[in-house]
Formats: sequence, C-alpha cells, structure tokens
Amino acid sequence: MDAQSLESDALAAVAAASSVGDIERVRVEYLGRKSALKLALRDVRDRETGMALNTLRERLEAAIDAREAELSRAELDRRLTEERVDVTMPGTPIRRGHLHLITQIRREVEDIFLGLGYTVVDGREVETTRYNFDALNFPLGHPTRSPLQTLFLDEETVLRTETSPSQIRTMEAQDPPVYIVSLGRVYRRDTPDAMHSPTFHQVEGLAVDEGITLGDLEGTLDYLLKALFGERRETRFVTHHFPFTEPSIEALVSCHICDGSGCPVCRHSGWIEVGGAGMVDPNLFEFVGYDPERYTGFAFGWGLERIAVLRHGIPDLRELWRNDPRLLRQF
Amino acid sequence: MRAPLSWLREYVTVDATAEEIAHRLAISSLEVERVIDAGVADTDGNLGRFLVGRVLEAAPHPNADRLRVCQVDVGEGDARQIVCGAWNFEAGATVAVALPGAYLPIVDEPLDERALRGQLSRGMILAEDEVGLGEDHAGIMVLEDGPEPGTPLADVLPIRDHVLDVTPTVNRVDLLSMVGLAREVAALLDGELHPPAPDDPAIVDVESVDVAIEDFHRCPRYIGRVFRDVVIGTSPQWLRTRLYLADMRPISNVVDATNYVMHVWGSPLHAFDRSKLAGGRIAVRRARPDEELRTLDGTLRKLVPEDLMITDGEHSVALAAIMGGEDSEVSEATNEVLLEAANFEPLGILRTSERLGLRTAGSNRWEKGVDPYLAENAAVLASRMIVDLAGARMTGHVDVHDGLPERPVVRLRPERASFVIGLGVAPDEQRATLEGFGFEVSNDWDVTVPTWRARDVTREIDVIEEVARPVLDKVPYTMPLRRHVLGRLSKQQRLRRVVEDVLVGAGVSEAYTWSLVGSDPNPDAIRLRNPVTSDQEVLRTTIVPGLVEAARTGVDAGADDVALFEIARVYLPSGKQLPDERWRVAGVVAGGYDVVKGVLETLYAALHLELRVERGSHPSLHPGKAAATEAGWLGELHPTLLEGAWGAFELDLDTLFAPVPERIVYEDVLTFPAVLQDIAVAVAEDIEVGALVDAAHDAAGALLREARVFDVYRGEQVGEGRKSVAIHLSFQSPERTLTDDEAAKARARIVAALVDRFDAELRA
Repeated sequence: MDAQSLESDALAAVAAASSVGDIERVRVEYLGRKSALKLALRDVRDRETGMALNTLRERLEAAIDAREAELSRAELDRRLTEERVDVTMPGTPIRRGHLHLITQIRREVEDIFLGLGYTVVDGREVETTRYNFDALNFPLGHPTRSPLQTLFLDEETVLRTETSPSQIRTMEAQDPPVYIVSLGRVYRRDTPDAMHSPTFHQVEGLAVDEGITLGDLEGTLDYLLKALFGERRETRFVTHHFPFTEPSIEALVSCHICDGSGCPVCRHSGWIEVGGAGMVDPNLFEFVGYDPERYTGFAFGWGLERIAVLRHGIPDLRELWRNDPRLLRQF
Repeated sequence: MRAPLSWLREYVTVDATAEEIAHRLAISSLEVERVIDAGVADTDGNLGRFLVGRVLEAAPHPNADRLRVCQVDVGEGDARQIVCGAWNFEAGATVAVALPGAYLPIVDEPLDERALRGQLSRGMILAEDEVGLGEDHAGIMVLEDGPEPGTPLADVLPIRDHVLDVTPTVNRVDLLSMVGLAREVAALLDGELHPPAPDDPAIVDVESVDVAIEDFHRCPRYIGRVFRDVVIGTSPQWLRTRLYLADMRPISNVVDATNYVMHVWGSPLHAFDRSKLAGGRIAVRRARPDEELRTLDGTLRKLVPEDLMITDGEHSVALAAIMGGEDSEVSEATNEVLLEAANFEPLGILRTSERLGLRTAGSNRWEKGVDPYLAENAAVLASRMIVDLAGARMTGHVDVHDGLPERPVVRLRPERASFVIGLGVAPDEQRATLEGFGFEVSNDWDVTVPTWRARDVTREIDVIEEVARPVLDKVPYTMPLRRHVLGRLSKQQRLRRVVEDVLVGAGVSEAYTWSLVGSDPNPDAIRLRNPVTSDQEVLRTTIVPGLVEAARTGVDAGADDVALFEIARVYLPSGKQLPDERWRVAGVVAGGYDVVKGVLETLYAALHLELRVERGSHPSLHPGKAAATEAGWLGELHPTLLEGAWGAFELDLDTLFAPVPERIVYEDVLTFPAVLQDIAVAVAEDIEVGALVDAAHDAAGALLREARVFDVYRGEQVGEGRKSVAIHLSFQSPERTLTDDEAAKARARIVAALVDRFDAELRA
C-alpha cells in the first residue's frame, strides 16, 4: 500500500464529498473495516510503520470530521432557509376555563383587604332574625323586616338580606381588634329585572379597634375605590342612614367613563354611588359585649354586582346568571 | 319629593344657586335625584317678554266665531291687539301675556306677530300649560287682581324655576316638607329661616267638635276643626302652580289646601264633607271584624281589627292615615268641612298599608313617624287657606291627645364628636351646627332634640352624626393605626382558590346557579314560606341540577365542549333552626366517565391527594357509570337528564380538604433511579382494575412506587368474559439503587398475588 497516494486519494475524495452521505461513504472507503488502511494496520509488524499508519489514520479522521461538520452545517443552513411556517396560523388549541366575573371581583376585593391585613370570614346564608335584624339594630317596622322584602323560612329564620350578620358572629367569637371582610350571597325578595336580582353578592367590611374614626373609614374606602376603579379616581362621601351604623355615609366615586364631566353611566352628575358604610352603631357593640366607649369601628357593605355593572358595563344583572359560554368566555 | 326653589325660597333667604343648594343637601342631608329646569328659558332676555296684562276690551272676531280680538294693556301706554281663542275671561281680567319674540317651553320657534283670520295678533294670552305652570288648557290663566299691567310675569308666577327632586332616608321624614328642607338649607348654607307664621283665623259662632279617640297608642293626637259656608271651587293660579311643580294634581280649593299644607309642614291632613258624618262626629277606633270601606279610589277594602279607622261613631269614613272614604269625600256640593290634623303611630299604618298594597303621600309620611307637634302648625295654615280660598267660616276646634312626648335630652362631649369624626370640629362650630338644625344646646352641653327629630336622635352618637353631616367632605382620609395584623386566607379559602384555578386550567368554566330552586331531589329540603316564584322556593341540597340546566344553556347556544363547575353552598336539613350549610364543588363536563374522572384526578393531584373511588349509585347518574368517593360522587350523567355523554361530580369541600397535607416534605426521587417494568394479566371481566392495583401495592410493599393501568384489551386471544390489563410498574427505593433481582422478586410477588386472588393469567 502506498501511504502517500492513499492519503492524497482520500483527501481528494474528502474534498469532493458534497453531502453528509458522500462523506460517510468516504469514511467507509478509507477508514472502514475493509479499507486498505485498516487492512494494512492489521498486518503491521514493525513499530515505525504502525506509528506512521496511525498518524495517517488520525489525519484522515480529522479531515473527514472537519468536512462532515462543514457539510452538515451547510445542510442545516439550507434546511433553515427552506423551512418556514405561516406564523399567522393558529396554534394547537389548549382548552382553558374561565372564572366567573363575580369570583374575579370577589378575589380582587379579598386581595385588597388581605394586603391591608384583614382576614376573610365566611358567614352563614340562612340566618336567624335575631342575627339578621335584632342584633343589627333594625327597628321593628323597618321595611326589610317585612315578608314583602325578605325571604322567610319561618317566623324567626330568613335568608340573610345583607352580609352584616357576619359582623355580629365575628365579634361574638373574638375580642377586638377585628379587621375582617366577608363576601357572599345575599337574598332579597325582588323580582328579577335589569338592575335587581333576588340573589346577589356583597362584600362586608368591619374594623373594630381603639381609635377608629370616620376618617379611617373614608381613607379605607378611598383606597378600595382607587384599587377597583383606578388611581385617578376621586371619592366623596355623603350622608345616609342604615340601622347598623351611626353616622352612616354613602361612598361615591368620580365617574371612570367620563372622568366626571357627565355621561349616562353617572346620570350626568360626574359621580357614581357605590355603596353604604358608616361607624358601627354602639348598639351592636352592646349586643356582642364590646365596650362602646373604648372601641369604635367602621363597617361597609357593597354589592359586587354593582362593581361589575359599573366597571365592566354589564347591562343586565340577569346576564351574570345565564351561564352562556359566549358570555363566560369574555372574562 | 319635589321642592320648587321658588317656593323653598319663601321660607329661607340664602345666597346660593340651585346647584349649590343641591350639592350641599346631597352631602349633608338627603339624596338629590336631580335638579329639574322648569318653565320658560332664561336666555337673551326671554323672561322680559312675559308680562302681566289687563284686558281692556274683548270683542268678537269679525271672521271667526271661536276667536275674540282683545285689546290688552301691558304697560306700554297703547294697548296691544291680541287674538285669543279662550272664553273664560272678560274685559278687566288680569292675564299673563307673552310678547312676540318670546320662546315658550313647548315650541321651538319664537312667537311672532301675525294675522289670524285677517286680524293682527301682537302677542299671546297664556294658558298655564304654555309656560310650564300646569296641565290645564281649557282656558287662559286669569290672575288675581293687583299687579299693574307691565309687571314682569316672573314676579307674579314662577314661570322660570328649578325643582329639586329629593329622597330623604327613612329616618328623615322631617325632610318630606318644605319647612324641613328650608331649615337644612338655612343651617348648611348660612341662610335665614322664616317658616310660615301662624295666622289662625278666628272662630265665629263657636260650636263644639265631637272627637273621641279609643286608641291613643295608634292615634296620639287628633285636631278636628269645623268650617261652614264652604264654597268649593278651583284654586288660584299660584296654588295650582305650586302643586303642579311639586308633582301634585290640583283638585279643588279645600283638597288643594290640605295637600299644600302637607307639603309645607310634612303633616298630612284630611278634609271630610261634614254633612256625611253622622252627627258631625269623629271616633277613632280599630276596624270591626269583617268591616269594609270603599276608599275614595273606588276600591272596596276588606279590613281587619289591626286596621285603624276614622269613623263617625256609626260607620268608618276613612282608613286612618292612608286614604279617605268615598262617601265622605269633599265634592263640589260640599259646604261643611271637618278638617283632620292628627297624628298616627307608624308601625300600624305600615302594616295596614303593606297588607292592602296601598301607599299614598300620606301613608309614606306616617309610616316613618311624623312629629305630633306639627299637627297644630298644619291645622292653623290649612284653616287660614280654607277660610281665605273657600270663603268659609271656622266654627269649631278641638285638640284631643293624651299628652305629647317629651323632647329627648342628650349629653354631648364635643371632644368625643371630634374623635369619632376624625376631624377637630371646634365646640363653637358644633354648637352652631346643632342650633341651626333646631337643637338647643345648654352651656354644659345638654342637647335638647327638636320634636321633629325626637324619634331618630336619642343618644350621643346620634348627635355626633348631626355634627358630622355638614363636614363629611372635610374629613381627612386616614388609615387605622394597626398594632395587630392577621391578613391571610384560611386553609379552606386558600384551597378553594386552588380548586377554582385547577378546574379553570383543566378547561372547566365557572358558572353561577341559583341557591333557590323549584324542586330538589331531597324531599326534606327546606322550603321558603314566602317565595316570589315557584321556581325559586326550595333551598337546594345539591348543585348538579343547576349545572345541568346551565350546560343545557351552553348546548343550546351552540357550544360543543361545555364544561362547567360551581363552588357554592348547599343547605342540608339539620333538625335545628338553621340548616347545615356545606361548601360543595360540583361540575358537569361534556364527555363520558373518563373525562370527568380525568378532571378529578387532576384536581386531586393538585391537592396532593389520591382519588380513590368505589362503585356507587346516585339518582343523577348512569347506574353502570357511577362512583362514590369519600368527599362525594362522580360518574356519567343519567342519559334522561341531558342528551349525549356527560360527566358529573359533586364533592364536599371540608371532606375533600381534610386530608390535604399542610406542607409537602422533600422526598429523594432522583439519586436512585426507578426500575420500570410492565406486566399484562388476563382476568375475568368483572374484576375492577383498581383491585389489581391495590393488590400489587399490598404484595410489593413500599418498593412499588407507582402502579398505573395503561391498557385494557379484550379479544379472542384473551377469551370470552375476560380482559387483559396492562399495568406499568415503577420500583424505587429512596435509599439505594435496586438490583434487577430485587425488582424481579417484587414483580414475582405481584404476579403471584394477582394469580392467587383474581385467578389472573400472566400474559407478558
């Protein structure tokens, strides 16, 4: 075997190889088990020849590897230029469900108050008149006590008309300080229409501590309203009346649709009523055995649906109970 | 309630616009629904084109039978010729005139001079509806004599006005009156209050008035006054207009006087035709059993002994505080009137009014508790009006009561008020505020509550609210100073969110369905006593039926992959007053048993739980495809409930969450690799694969980390009535690498157990 011509033949073949397949054939021909070099190596008897042939093998291997790398890189480059997808084609669908809008708002409100260091309390939905009315300072003859407005199970049992009974049950179960929110279903004896649903959802907030003031209530609600409707919103508080708070107020937020200049959503007033609030009436503290001189507190109870209507433009509360997939998917 | 500002300003002098008044009242007093712009426009001198005129001559129109040609003095020197179609006036009448160029509220174009059937008309003699002062168009307005021709009409009638549409809260019935509103405006905007001064007519030819109250609790006061020589007629224009702007309908002078005075003082009144009262008597008593009364709306009312009646000693003549009787109604023929200015206890009135579904302007006030002291103010003003407007003589007066309530006295600590409000309000300012609202404040801060607030203000905190109302928009926003903070979700609340998120991730959407249903599978489910509709009368004990309905909505909407869940309460009868309210998660998903099982396996895995089921049964489920688990049930929906194959489940959340570990402890699953082996065994068709897996775990012990069924094959090679179950086995030790021999031995134990217990035949 003429090592020199073998080498020059092999290198010529390497140089001539134009594909990864070609170079594999060159590898088999010159370095394979039946190649002249392998056969010669097998027959080598002297060290010198062996070293020379082995060096030749290494040189050929290196040349082939280098050419192979070059060719495969070229092939990859070619493939990368040829392969294209229509990037605007839709992807493989992966099914995803949707949380109900009211759940999303519920969580948002919970998270706002968790961030303020409040706990979340689950109240009962079926309540005694004692907790739903008496403890909350509803006077006899208050319209909400009437079977025209409230759903009764029997003389002394109702579906809660607001989340407020959870205030009483919480205060009965613990000493101050109390910082809670309670969210859930409430019931009124309403005929369903666009703005009324016999079942709806409220968030109740209650803070009882030494030194709580009306300013703390207004500050907390301002924080909540900005979190819900945007940092640029302004808030305003006006007088109101509820049996369980004294003084009582109603919260208004500057209209997020028209920025206060007047539109149908805010009835051209620039302001939107969001819900009621007030300082906890001392009668509630007396009912649960808190000292009304030492402790003061504030409470509020707002409808989550009202937030959905205002913020997301829900035109009709009944839509929220329709469970049409086209509707659920929006949120 | 509607409050025309022109009327309100009669009782309060204040330097504030309608908008300023509305704004301040809305913050500190009551809800202002809107401010209504009433009457003619006030732009480009429009108001100046409305003048008082005197008709000098009213001659027939030469070319039109229905028209007259009038010469009207409007203070210009020469009379204006105006053609007019009304016939309710003659020469000498004082009338309202619009000059050419005037814009009337009902037409877009200005009035112009034009010829009517050949006679020039240089203006218009006005009817009340043409300037927004009423609805009547039968004739023109004939004004009371007095104002000189040429006087601006706006000085005589409120042709340009703002009307506040306000709704007080239930504790502020005192604001359902012009005087009450005027008092608030005066106090809040530094105005001067001047309510109508009492100007009681003298009693002539005095006669006694026979009034008896049987029930002083329900009727604490009754002022009865008698008027004779009453001439019923229409009210003067100023009164008609005020009533119209206040959203009340003018009827006749006597009835209008009672409505007007109710609006002024907030104490409703009633006028009887006294000739219809037996002996001219009044007796206030409860209704007799089976008694009936035809009220003046023509409806025959069935009464119960709870109802309070005004009677003449023989028959009922009015449903007290709510509506008069038809028989004793004031009519054109009336010439004797008995005026009632009384007081009624609110709760009884509310009950009767609710029972009869009859609410009136009167009952709306009485049910909130009207100040009994107001009856006298109301009686005096109404008497003056009846005498002046109907030419009557007042001949009798009686005031029956059993003592009037004391005014509450409350001690106020001004520093406590400042503390609760969170704003330093100077003691002098607190005192001034309270006095403005009609409270009396002694030097040492004993606060005497005015009679019209006596029901509402009885404690220091109530007085603090009075101090707070005017400054609500000045309170600085602060946050509670916290010394203890505990802001986190409970385990159950946290896991509830996990359930929601996992199900959403698994392609299931959240639905909201009603807690109240038409019927429930549980015959003991709790029923409402007063449902609104029959499809919402039972408190549900299961959620799935609601979701089935919701799924049907989805299918009807054309969706083909409906999957819904809901987390809500169910209400289980407990034998006690309150039901056992349990949180449940339920779902209905398109696809059969496999799909719902897969969803629940994903859910359980996310909770670090293993879903273990056994064959079960449930009325909502296909009997062959129903499973029970500790927390509830799952399976394929019974085909009669919804067309197609649907999975359904309902789980009790407390039961589901109880075994969820508080924390996950690290386990080494990487250092020593698992040895993976698959086996296939043939068993009888009725053997459940779950039993095979359990047996494998029993036999191999802790080394068997996982056994998972991945294929079930039925075919000729397996034989009739048998199936081949392929199980993927994963052996692993946390302490060492298992040898092939160890794995082989464990596998052999498994095979032996399966052969032994299930007559299994090893196939691979």
